[in-house]
Amino acid sequence: MGKYILKRFLWIIPVILCVSVFVFTLMYFTPGDPAQIILGTNATEEMYEAKREELGLNDPYIVQLSNFLKNVFLRGDLGTSYKTQQDVLEQVMIRMPYTMKLAFGSVILSILVGIPLGVIAATNQYSWKDNLSMFAALFSVSMPSFWFALLLVMLFSLNLRWLPSTGADTILHYIMPCVSVAVGGAAGIARQTRSSMLEVIRQDYITTARAKGMKERAVIYKVALKNALIPVVTVIGMQIAGMFGGSLVSEVIFSIPGVGSYILNAITTRDYPTVRGGVLIISICFCLIMLLVDIAYAMIDPRIRAQYEK
Amino acid sequence: MNAKDNGDMLLRVEGLVVKYMTDAGAIHAVNGVNLCLRKGETLGLVGETGAGKTTIAKAIMRILPDPPAKICGGNIYLNGEDVLRVGEHRMRQIRGNSVAMIFQDPMTSLNPIEPVGRQISEAIREHASFSRREVEEHAKKMLEKVGIPRERYGEYPHQFSGGMKQRVVIAMALACNPELLLADEPTTALDVTIQAQVLEMMKGLKEEFGTSMIMITHDLGIVAETCDNVAVIYAGEVIEYGSAQEIFDSPAHPYTIGLFGSLPGANKNARRLKPIDGLMPDPANLPTGCKFHDRCPHATRQCMKEEPTAIHLTDTHYTKCFLHWR
Amino acid sequence: MSSQQNPAKKRKSRFAVVFHQLKKNKLAMGGLVVIILLVALAILAPYIIPYDYDMQDYSCILSGSTKEHWLGTDDLGRDILSRLLYGTRISLSMGVLIVCIGASIGILLGSIAGFYGGRVDNVIMRFLDIYQSVPNILLAIAFAAVLGPGLTSAVTALGIASFAGYARLIRASILQVRGLEYVDAARVINASNINILFKHVLPNAFSPLIVYITMYIGSSILAAASLSFIGLGAQAPLPEWGAMLSSGRSMMRDYPTLVLYPGIMIMITVLAFNLFGDGLRDALDPRLKN
Repeated sequence: MGKYILKRFLWIIPVILCVSVFVFTLMYFTPGDPAQIILGTNATEEMYEAKREELGLNDPYIVQLSNFLKNVFLRGDLGTSYKTQQDVLEQVMIRMPYTMKLAFGSVILSILVGIPLGVIAATNQYSWKDNLSMFAALFSVSMPSFWFALLLVMLFSLNLRWLPSTGADTILHYIMPCVSVAVGGAAGIARQTRSSMLEVIRQDYITTARAKGMKERAVIYKVALKNALIPVVTVIGMQIAGMFGGSLVSEVIFSIPGVGSYILNAITTRDYPTVRGGVLIISICFCLIMLLVDIAYAMIDPRIRAQYEK
Repeated sequence: MNAKDNGDMLLRVEGLVVKYMTDAGAIHAVNGVNLCLRKGETLGLVGETGAGKTTIAKAIMRILPDPPAKICGGNIYLNGEDVLRVGEHRMRQIRGNSVAMIFQDPMTSLNPIEPVGRQISEAIREHASFSRREVEEHAKKMLEKVGIPRERYGEYPHQFSGGMKQRVVIAMALACNPELLLADEPTTALDVTIQAQVLEMMKGLKEEFGTSMIMITHDLGIVAETCDNVAVIYAGEVIEYGSAQEIFDSPAHPYTIGLFGSLPGANKNARRLKPIDGLMPDPANLPTGCKFHDRCPHATRQCMKEEPTAIHLTDTHYTKCFLHWR
Repeated sequence: MSSQQNPAKKRKSRFAVVFHQLKKNKLAMGGLVVIILLVALAILAPYIIPYDYDMQDYSCILSGSTKEHWLGTDDLGRDILSRLLYGTRISLSMGVLIVCIGASIGILLGSIAGFYGGRVDNVIMRFLDIYQSVPNILLAIAFAAVLGPGLTSAVTALGIASFAGYARLIRASILQVRGLEYVDAARVINASNINILFKHVLPNAFSPLIVYITMYIGSSILAAASLSFIGLGAQAPLPEWGAMLSSGRSMMRDYPTLVLYPGIMIMITVLAFNLFGDGLRDALDPRLKN
């Protein structure tokens, strides 16, 4: 197991490296002159030229790239914002806690709702419970999360005045953002849980477990669910990716000062070092979360573990 | 029925009827089966695939999937207690404790993500109030009994071969020293060489534990080797019943005779393999009269209309065929 | 010889079987009907909408439902019904284009990986691993940032960001098909890779691919609406549903329908694709049907 985690952890390094190259290249080919973005349109050509020289923009691509990688990986320096001249890493890190709270809250909520719902649907197949929860799930996967967020705001902030519509100060502020992001994920998880539970319940080892005299609850939760979770974990991984996107949009709607709104704002102001840094940091976080997902995967399924222990 | 008879009678199945309810209609899987088994004996259930043998065994354990399966009638007495009428709580005490089952395919009958030892322990823990350590020790002993080193307690099913997995299943079934063991084609999925080993081991353990057994098989060689009595099942009915010797020496039902004809080497007089013409009737759409009439070389008009009832040839040997009424 | 003819015959009868299965599934048929209606709407939109989608009428702003404007007007006096209906055209074509871009890149890359195997396969698969370790929407946002906001760039961005799934699917089915005898036979008679791809691999991968595509059109429409909502997709005055939602947001306290209607349109569309995709999956793979 330890060996597996280590191997899987080391794999992150080339991933991050490639993502950095990728993001840098993307921004390199973005139209627009950074000097102009920084100095505005009223400066003289000499001033622009001096700025370009200062930023190293006149160097060939490969030199710029290697400088960027050196700065990122050796000095932990993601550059400074074109607009505010602030350190990007520092700024991203200030905003990270908000994004993390939102993302983790949503993921946990979606798992806590999705898995039990899927189990209930599967164990009561074709009953009203099954039909209701699966129809609700289908609705939720088909619903734009930002629209749902706005509906929540209309109901709970504007009409009932129970919850604050913007800000990120108390846990109350996170309820609607987390719910709106989690609903799609929960639905996806519930659908997968149901179908893999139904698949597993038909397996011979379930009959074996019953024949041993195990309680039905134990058969469902200890034997069936644990087996059914294997594909569910994969879906959870995929849903986390989706929820990351959802939380970016959610930050904008609820004015949460997280990394998402920071990046989006930087895109509109063409503040490329900020975009670059933000995307890179989010990708690293995402890699770490996927690492956790993979570890969970290996913990459940000994066959996966065995593949890596050779 | 005298007292002595009741005393060593372990299992009595009377008029068992099981149907599978599907969208397309009812499938008549088991149609009025009677069986009995004395303590220490082995009863063979013989018949083609789809004859309803496994359904009978699962009905005894009440582990048929419901829906679609429904037990529509009959009684199953285990030590005089009708298991079809006890509550789920009592049934759980019976399952795995008084009655245990070995399944056909060892590849799929073990939980793939649980160490084999723990799967055996689970069976013990359900029925005995041992401490954790005692349970584990007992499970390890069971592993050794089936010829698996106790060190492999913590290994997973994918680390075992098919034959080894079936040994684990057997260890699990015998862990609580059941009175009745239902073995559902325990060797069908195994290699021929492994088959003999596993069968030999099962015979040894049955002797050691004094377990009664129902051996479900379509392999008459296994029947000859292990069974005291034989019930021949066709389309969900017992069409012939008798001691192994009676069935082998003087099979009475044309189907039984056909089965023996289709077994190379069992009947030394038969030179050629004689498969029975035709297929088993579709259990969703059973023929009237004798279910075998459309494949029977001796079928008469009576066979098509009337259902034959059991006729006793000896005290222990009966068959459902009009041939013997005449 | 006969193996050359059999698959075609089989496929035809299989199509009939699948369609028969589908017909029994009321929800899926409902989805299909809605999809057909939406497509018809998308094609006919310019001819049937009561007003031009960008016709502004300052005498009639934020009117609410009236006889002239069934669903009311927005803050510029534009007819909401017309904008919603015209939006079908935008959203559907965005969804289809995104899938086309993603699928063509994905199928190309997946075929290369599957056919050449070995090192090429390894490199491509590792590349996909890396590519997928960035959340899809973040990739799309990054691409959209490079390409500048707008409809075309949103479509391109989402298309490029989504090819990995197709590539994996095609590669897996090539590996599967490569193990089958009849492809060996095709190799013996010197069929080219392209030939094998079109004659054997794609038909074989057809069922998972069609399900994936159907589902993905739905989620692409969702993603496109999200991009428009945050200002990176369709720009004013185009009546893209996500953009309409975004502009209605500031007025939602007093005019909730400005937010409600576009969302409902998105949901109906995506729901239809999901229902149909679900039904298609069950029909194509009865084993999965529970």
